[in-house]
Amino acid sequence: MATVTIDSLTFTYPKRTHPVLDDLAVTFPAGKFSLLTGVSGGGKSTLLNLIAGLTPLPAPGAIRFDGHPLAEIPATKRANTVAMMFQEPSTQFTMDTVENELRFALENQRVAATDIPAAIDEALNFVGIAQLKHRILMQLSGGEQQKVALAIIVAMNSDVILLDEPFASIDPPTRLTLLQKLMTLCTQQHKTVILADHDLSGYAHWVDHLAVLDAGHLTLLSTEETQERFAAFTPDRLQLTRVTPPQDTETVCLQGTQLGLFSGERELIHPQDLAFFAGQATLITGPNGSGKSTLFRALVRLSHYQGTLTYQGQDIQKISRKSYARQVGLMFQSAMAQFLNVTLDEELTLSQKNGNRAYFTPERVTQLLDQLGLTQHRNQVIYSLSSGQQKKAQLLCMLIMAPQVLLLDEPLKGLDLASIQTTMHILTSVQRDLGLTLILISHQLSGLDGLVTHHLRLMDHRLLYEGVTE
Amino acid sequence: MKGWHVRDIIFVTILAIFMGTIFFVTGPLYTVLAAALAPAGLQPLANELLLGIWVMAGPLAGFIIRIPGSATLGEFLGAVVEMFFGGIWGASTLISGALQGIGSELGFALTGYKHYGWFTLALSSLTTAIVTFGWDMIKNGYASYHLGFMALLFVVRLLSIFFFGGVLTKLIANLLVRAHVLPSAAH
Amino acid sequence: MNPTLKLALVLIIALEISFTQVWTVNVVLLVVCFILMIAYRVKIKRLLWLTLVPLFFATALVWSLSLQGSASAHFLIVIFTRMFVYVYMGGVFTQTTEPLMLTRSLEQNAKLPSKFAYGFLAAFNLMPKIRTEVATIRAAALMRGQVLHVWSPQLYFKVILVAMNWSDQLASAMASHGFVEGAPRTHAVRVPLPTWNWWACAVSLLAVQLGLFLGLP
Ligand SMILES: Nc1ncnc2c1ncn2[C@@H]1O[C@H](COP(=O)(O)OP(=O)(O)OP(=O)(O)O)[C@@H](O)[C@H]1O
Ligand SMILES: Nc1ncnc2c1ncn2[C@@H]1O[C@H](COP(=O)(O)OP(=O)(O)OP(=O)(O)O)[C@@H](O)[C@H]1O
Ligand SMILES: [Mg+2]
Ligand SMILES: [Mg+2]
Repeated sequence: MATVTIDSLTFTYPKRTHPVLDDLAVTFPAGKFSLLTGVSGGGKSTLLNLIAGLTPLPAPGAIRFDGHPLAEIPATKRANTVAMMFQEPSTQFTMDTVENELRFALENQRVAATDIPAAIDEALNFVGIAQLKHRILMQLSGGEQQKVALAIIVAMNSDVILLDEPFASIDPPTRLTLLQKLMTLCTQQHKTVILADHDLSGYAHWVDHLAVLDAGHLTLLSTEETQERFAAFTPDRLQLTRVTPPQDTETVCLQGTQLGLFSGERELIHPQDLAFFAGQATLITGPNGSGKSTLFRALVRLSHYQGTLTYQGQDIQKISRKSYARQVGLMFQSAMAQFLNVTLDEELTLSQKNGNRAYFTPERVTQLLDQLGLTQHRNQVIYSLSSGQQKKAQLLCMLIMAPQVLLLDEPLKGLDLASIQTTMHILTSVQRDLGLTLILISHQLSGLDGLVTHHLRLMDHRLLYEGVTE
Repeated sequence: MKGWHVRDIIFVTILAIFMGTIFFVTGPLYTVLAAALAPAGLQPLANELLLGIWVMAGPLAGFIIRIPGSATLGEFLGAVVEMFFGGIWGASTLISGALQGIGSELGFALTGYKHYGWFTLALSSLTTAIVTFGWDMIKNGYASYHLGFMALLFVVRLLSIFFFGGVLTKLIANLLVRAHVLPSAAH
Repeated sequence: MNPTLKLALVLIIALEISFTQVWTVNVVLLVVCFILMIAYRVKIKRLLWLTLVPLFFATALVWSLSLQGSASAHFLIVIFTRMFVYVYMGGVFTQTTEPLMLTRSLEQNAKLPSKFAYGFLAAFNLMPKIRTEVATIRAAALMRGQVLHVWSPQLYFKVILVAMNWSDQLASAMASHGFVEGAPRTHAVRVPLPTWNWWACAVSLLAVQLGLFLGLP
């Protein structure tokens, strides 16, 4: 058990004029689940990194655990006090297999060699993933990797558990299991949990007070205000009302014939025929690791597939890479992958140079930047933007390119509700004006209703349109 | 002068793997070159032409990490990774990797790890070419080539290393300076 | 055999045969390695690969040396067999040694600082992701209307930024999993270093020395 007290914490990134955290003061009570939210770029990640001791503190006494300043806790004891689970599932492990990673963490804590096997099994059983023990970490799906990350924290028995948007790319059922496990840790083992999230669905039963971080300040909302915010994420708000099954009259733009996908030996999609329709906005959903991103990579010729894929009747392997890339574009799951230059401004200039200049005039781009709240970040190094800001910048860059078919892999990952609404508004109007075909992968459904017209589900190795029976 | 942190070690290794991957992208090019040159007994020239890409991890690591030993470690770790991942040359990869690393390290060491600019990179290219060529004279019998051909091999190697490890590395470093990843006060 | 000792043995022999010119020793070594590879059940496909590639390189080099140089036949045979020894010895080593065991052994038996051992492993295990990333970067650039060649600074710039980003994330994650540079750790898996390993190592080395000494012209 540990109470986390933050007192007059001011933090400014080097080379920036405005502080990200401005004289922040807050207490996260021991044994409680605290939910942290706020606009993209509000400083949530910055705050969590400071609490975890991953960023050096500006003032030694600003963060205390049960009264002990963080700076005075010896490095070897720190993991016992505070552990962090990260947003990106795949880059948080050192070893090859689940068992070895757990072993590594316990060895670091100097647990006696004889006690380690029992501790490993106990942690795996707690999270319910004993069957993953000998699996290779890099071959697990994102959701499974996050479960392993939680098991490690359980094994290390840290008092304070920090989570920075841990569910950003996790499917709803997995998300629910993880949340339940976290609640158990809170209520039964009195762990202090601080979790940053934008998607507020599923918290209403458990969280009484929401902490909102905005413009460097943190406010605790009252119970009513908290419930009001949660209300935007109730299941009836997450329904897709405009979805229809594809009609015979619709034009096919991408067609897979006996299309099969594999990851190594493992079958992801059993060979099947599959069509995507021009001018529509198609949503693809499915569990973590089922092969959605792999499908996108196949569509842009980045991974192997069985069968044939045609674009407007032409085999995509026969179209030159260069010209195909301009017609079918992919917004990657990780925003970093999309950028080529240093500042946001340079990225936009590049897109404008090669993209649809007639539609995306400088005025329009300025206006869009303003709507997305990126105006004052124009000259910032793009890699130092917050995760949500990067996602918005990435979307803008790809929209300006305006390929006939735009594939969007988790375009809403890590966006706050207001940004989601703006983004969807922009997407809808650009699609209408330019007649683009959009295909999206998304785990989170809030805000998608106005856009999506077809819904493709990936289940049991098959892709099936909503409303179509086999 | 700072010491090695685990972050630097991970970075250098990832960079080494990346460079190895990029090098293998040129695999077909190499095969074509080698096959075209082999009948005339000029196959080593194919090695020399592309060697620059192979040894680039050294100067890049040296330029970015700026810790004594970073260039060496960058090359050496690349060799270790290669040995375990399908590379076939086994222990000799490790020895070559270490020597290539020491070669480019010399350039940085000779300027006292203080100057990070054109001169150091050019020097590092030269030392890399000399050290690796010396090793090939022993290991691959380059010493028994006719003097003219030996000189040709050396010059091609030097140019290749200078292009990739010097010119290209400097251009990359310029981009990194603009991205605030590297300090701008490069000499 | 203990991985560290095995690595040392392989390295010493590789160095020695690089500096000496006794083809009989090379042939004995490559036969021994070949038998070991069969004994350790190296896949036929791999074995074929390990034979054909050095065959091409050794032939091309020897051909080139005889056309452009003045090497004796004896020297050419030495060079030719040497290449096979490198490859076969490497084949035996990688076939019988896992990277994880080698790092553990280096940490425990050779006192390699744990930050090197685990820093290396963290990056090494990311390999599949790293490998696909290069293709991703090039494709992403194409979609933005830019072609990245192996000589484009931007390709490497991107690669370096990705490497920095990932190394930051991995280092933070290691810290979060309790890893502290230089701090003592326990070892759940002990890598044994029995006495017979030392003997085996010494005897093999002695045999090579003897061969080199006897075979010297
Ligand atoms: N290394 C850095 N250098 C300069 N500015 C930075 C750096 N990292 C973050 N920032 C800026 O600090 C602000 C807060 O970023 P932070 O990542 O903490 O936000 P966040 O609340 O986690 O946002 P998101 O919800 O989008 O993840 C942002 O405006 C961002 O641009
Ligand atoms: N580089 C890789 N190396 C090894 N396995 C991989 C790699 N990329 C993907 N996989 C495996 O392929 C499978 C499908 O992955 P994919 O990314 O397509 O899933 P997804 O449906 O997009 O999941 P998510 O919802 O988590 O994004 C997963 O089980 C994953 O472990
Ligand atoms: Mg964040
Ligand atoms: Mg995916």
